[in-house]
Amino acid sequence: MFETGHKQASRGKEVSVSEGDQELRAQMIRYQGGSLEAFQEIYARLAPGVRRYLSLLAGGSAIADDLLQETFLQMHRSRAAYNLAYAVKPWVFGMARNVFLMNRRAARRWAAVHESREDLPDFPVPPEADRLGSQDEIRRCMAHLSRDQVEALLLHHQWGFSFEEIAGMLGISAAAARARASRGMADLRVALNGLQRARA
Amino acid sequence: MMDQLPKPPEVPPEALLRAIAEDLAPVRPSPRPLHLALRMVPFALLVSSLILLAIGPRGDSAILGPLLTWGASAAQFVFAIAIIWIAAHESTPAGKLPRQVVYVAAAAASLVVVAVTLSTFSTSPAGPLPGFVPPRVAVLLHDSPWIVGFACGIGSTMAGGVLVLLFSGLFSNSLATRPAIAGALYGAGAGLAINATWRIACPFSNPWHALGAHGAAIITTVILGALIGRFLGNRRLHIGGRRS
Repeated sequence: MFETGHKQASRGKEVSVSEGDQELRAQMIRYQGGSLEAFQEIYARLAPGVRRYLSLLAGGSAIADDLLQETFLQMHRSRAAYNLAYAVKPWVFGMARNVFLMNRRAARRWAAVHESREDLPDFPVPPEADRLGSQDEIRRCMAHLSRDQVEALLLHHQWGFSFEEIAGMLGISAAAARARASRGMADLRVALNGLQRARA
Repeated sequence: MMDQLPKPPEVPPEALLRAIAEDLAPVRPSPRPLHLALRMVPFALLVSSLILLAIGPRGDSAILGPLLTWGASAAQFVFAIAIIWIAAHESTPAGKLPRQVVYVAAAAASLVVVAVTLSTFSTSPAGPLPGFVPPRVAVLLHDSPWIVGFACGIGSTMAGGVLVLLFSGLFSNSLATRPAIAGALYGAGAGLAINATWRIACPFSNPWHALGAHGAAIITTVILGALIGRFLGNRRLHIGGRRS
């Protein structure tokens, strides 16, 4: 599902700020002021998406739940580092990515994570791709895309981040984020067409 | 047709909630990267002023002219702040700049240092030694230029090191994915800021000295910043119980 957003000038350029994120910012201000209820509200809104994102990064391995708790613990420790100039959702997703990368570095599980990519249990399917094939076919074809393409594709089409937000999270340009997502979608279409032709 | 029941909102686990409830003191939001970088300016100016007060500006400043002394140093100083601004962005999960920006800034800063060094050398290869240097020491320094290089390298490294330590205090909230890179960037900012002042104080413009000794000091502050950044990053994002 895509959130409808309006434009707000920030850092000298136009960025899309959804109504949902405005609410999240208000909750973040209350949380920084010491409200436990605000934390619970933020958790309730973001935890399901962050878990799916971590599950994608970690190859659906069982550590996604641990990483989710670690992400929110890090968010708590770093709540002072949040600035209202940033949308909350990409900030938390970016932190989830940091937690995953640091965990990978610490535990040296990179190889294991990649090996398990083919058996993703909860691999999300972008809504755009939904009509191109069955969920199982899409998942199988997505497993053959590059990791960067899958990440950009899902961050944009599944979680609704703008390309500017994805660029800020991944440390790439907005054009590169757009290229990864669109190439990923194009490759996915080609793979699905090939699969359907082979079946016919 | 039956209505679908809405999913109940996700609740944080008890242990996480307890950990958070134990430490819910109100906090002040962090400044934006640009404001954070500008906060470093007074520190950099303070250390730079102390260097100039201790050594004094080089004796051939009049030959070099204001553009090649203060102007070139001001340009280097602006580059230093720009690199610290990039480091502040690198430390924000949702605000990272593309890698190309980091590479271009590092290359541009290096080019500025080289260009300023060569311009200074072509205008005035060397100025008189500061007045506080005794004549016998001046002869020794003239005969053994490596002693000057060593003194400049150690002096500017120490000044840069102080600045890196001051910066790391302000960067302790860094949430960088690549903490060593973020640390190296603010180390580079500190090194450049110190070099901007040191080049006005040091009377030797010889490229071997200016790029060798002063450049080595910048590289040392970059390494120091990377080490501190890595240490702070590992401490902050230590994944409890899963460290190998």
